[in-house]
Amino acid sequence: MNRREFVKKAGLTAGLSLASPYIMKNGLFARGAMSSADHVVLVMFAGGVRQQESVLQRYLTDSQGLTGSIYEGNIMYNLLNGQAPQDKIVYGLDPSVGPQGSLPIPAILSSSLQSQGILFPEVTAAGTGHYSGLVTLLTGSRSVTQGLRNRPRNPTIFEYARKHANLGATDVWMVGNRIGNSLPLLNYSDHPDYGVEYGANFIAPDVTFGSEGEEHIKNAKSYHPEEDLGPVNAMQNFLNRSFNRTGSDFGGVRNTEDEKYQLRLFFEEMFAKKASNTISHPPVVINNDMRAVGYTCEVLKWFKPKVTVVNLDSVDGCHANFTGYLRSLHRADHAVGHLWNTIQTQIPEMADNTCLVVCPEHGRNLDPNSILDQNDWLAYDHSDLNATRIFSMVAGPGIDQNLVVGSESNPIGDISDIVLTMAEVLGIKLQVIQAGLTSSSQSLLDRI
Amino acid sequence: MQIFNPINLLTGILSILLLASSCQKDDPVVYEVNPQDILSPTAGKIKEKSPEQFVAVMYANLFGTSISVSDQVEVERLLRSTGDKRLTWELIVSSYMNDPNVQLPDNLIMQQDLDGFVVETYNRFYFRPPSQIELEWWRDYLTNHPNVSTELVYLAFATSDEYFFY
Repeated sequence: MNRREFVKKAGLTAGLSLASPYIMKNGLFARGAMSSADHVVLVMFAGGVRQQESVLQRYLTDSQGLTGSIYEGNIMYNLLNGQAPQDKIVYGLDPSVGPQGSLPIPAILSSSLQSQGILFPEVTAAGTGHYSGLVTLLTGSRSVTQGLRNRPRNPTIFEYARKHANLGATDVWMVGNRIGNSLPLLNYSDHPDYGVEYGANFIAPDVTFGSEGEEHIKNAKSYHPEEDLGPVNAMQNFLNRSFNRTGSDFGGVRNTEDEKYQLRLFFEEMFAKKASNTISHPPVVINNDMRAVGYTCEVLKWFKPKVTVVNLDSVDGCHANFTGYLRSLHRADHAVGHLWNTIQTQIPEMADNTCLVVCPEHGRNLDPNSILDQNDWLAYDHSDLNATRIFSMVAGPGIDQNLVVGSESNPIGDISDIVLTMAEVLGIKLQVIQAGLTSSSQSLLDRI
Repeated sequence: MQIFNPINLLTGILSILLLASSCQKDDPVVYEVNPQDILSPTAGKIKEKSPEQFVAVMYANLFGTSISVSDQVEVERLLRSTGDKRLTWELIVSSYMNDPNVQLPDNLIMQQDLDGFVVETYNRFYFRPPSQIELEWWRDYLTNHPNVSTELVYLAFATSDEYFFY
C-alpha cells in the first residue's frame, strides 16, 4: 500500500466511524443528531388546549360566535408571536374596580419562545384522553391503549436517559401539579428492560410541601450525615442483611445515600422558603399549575437536572367554564415564560444550555357542550377529531429560531415525536431508536 | 457314627449369644443440646405491608396509640406525592421523633440493660425475638457505640426492610 492509498483508506474508515452513529435503522441519515444542550425541560401543557384559542389566536371568534378582529388575538404572548385581543378581556387579573379578568398579565419574556425556537403549529395527538396523551408524551409510543392506575408499558424518557446517558435519579425529575389522574405513576414504566431502576424523582408540591408535608415531614430532624446517619445506616445494613427480602418501597425509586442527603436538604429548604414566601414562583401565583412551576424552578436551581418534566392541567376546567379556561391558558403561558426566564437568568449552569419543549397532551372539541359560564359562554370537552389537534414548540441552543414548520392545512409532527426530540438533545437518540419501542415516531428536528 | 465335638457346641453357643446381643436396641444418646428450628426467624414474613398498614403499625409502635383516619390519609397522600418513598418514609419517622408524644426508651435504661432493650425492640418492631446471633451483634455494637441513642436505633428499625413485611 502506497502513501496515497493509506491516506485514502484511513480517511474513509474515519469518516464511516464518525458517520455510523447517525445512520438510522431504515438507512436514512438522521439530521442534527448531535447533542445541542446538556439539559432538556418538557412542559406538558396544560390539560387539553384547543387550537383555536391557542396557536390559531382566534380568542372568542371560533368558540362563542363573536365576529370581528377585536375579538381575535393572542392570549399566550410568552409562547407565541401575535397581538393580544382588544375587547372582552376576561383572562387577566381582577382589578379593584372594573370587570373581572380585565387586566392581562404583563409578558415576562421580551421575545416570545416562538421567536426563540421552532413552532410546529399543527401536530397530531395520540387520542383525546389525558392519561394516554401524557403516556405518549413521555414514552414516544402510541401503540398501546394505556389505562389509568397503570404505569406506562413502554419506557419513559426518564428511563431512556438514565440507562443510556448513565444518569442518577436526581438527574431526572418529574414535577406533578397534583397526585390525581395517576400522575405519580408516570416517573417510570413497567418495561422489563427499564423500570424503577431507571425511574425519575417525583414531587407533587401541593401535597409534598402542602398541608400533608407540613404536618408529617416538615419537622423532620436534620440528622448529621456521619454522626447520626452513619450509625443508622450501619444498623440498618445489619438488619437488612439478616432479612432475605427487599421491599418494593411501595414502588418508589431509590436514590443513593448522597442523593438522599441532598434531597433531605432540598426538602428542608423548600419548607423554609415556603415559610419566608421566597419560592421561585411566577409573579402571579393563582393556581396549582403556577405553584408547580415555582417548585420546578427550585428543583432546577438545586439539582440542575438533565431531564425535567412538569405537568400543567388547569386548562381542563374548560369542561364547565370557558372563561376559566381562558384564564388558565393565559396563566399557563405566564408560568412557562417564568420558567424559561428563570433558567436563563438565575441558573448559570443551565442558561444557554437548556432545550425547552412545550406540548399539550391533546386538544379540545370543535363544538361546545351545553354548559354556560358567567359570561354566557359555552364550554368544551375533548372527544372529537378537533381534540386530536395540538401544537408543539422547541427552543434552545442549536435550535433554529423563529421557524414555523407546518400549518393548519399541512400538519407536521406527532405527539409521540417528543421523546425522540428530547433524546436527540441529550445525544441518545440512536439508543432510543435501537430499543425499538418508538417505531412510528421521529424527532421533531428531523421533520424540518 | 458321629462323635460329639465340644468345640462345635461352644461355637454354636457363642453364635447364638452374638446374634442375641446384636439385636438389642441401643439406648438413645442425649447430647444435652436443645432442639432448634433450622428456619430463619424471618422466614414467615413474605407479604409486604400496604402503605395503610405500614403507617398504622408504625404510628402505634412509636406513639403507643392508633393513628387518626385523617392522619393516615395524609401520610398515604404524602407517599404518593414523592418518587423516593423510602426517603419520604424516613422523613416521616424522623419528623415523628421530634414529636413530644413519641414513646422512646431512655438511653440510660438501654445502656443498663442492653439485652432487654434489644429483645423489646425486636418484639416491638418485628413481632419476634432476636436470634442469638442478632442479640450478640447488637450487644457488641451498642457497647462499642455508646453514643448511639434509642432514637437512632428506632429509626434504623422503622426504616429497615423487615419492617415492610409481615
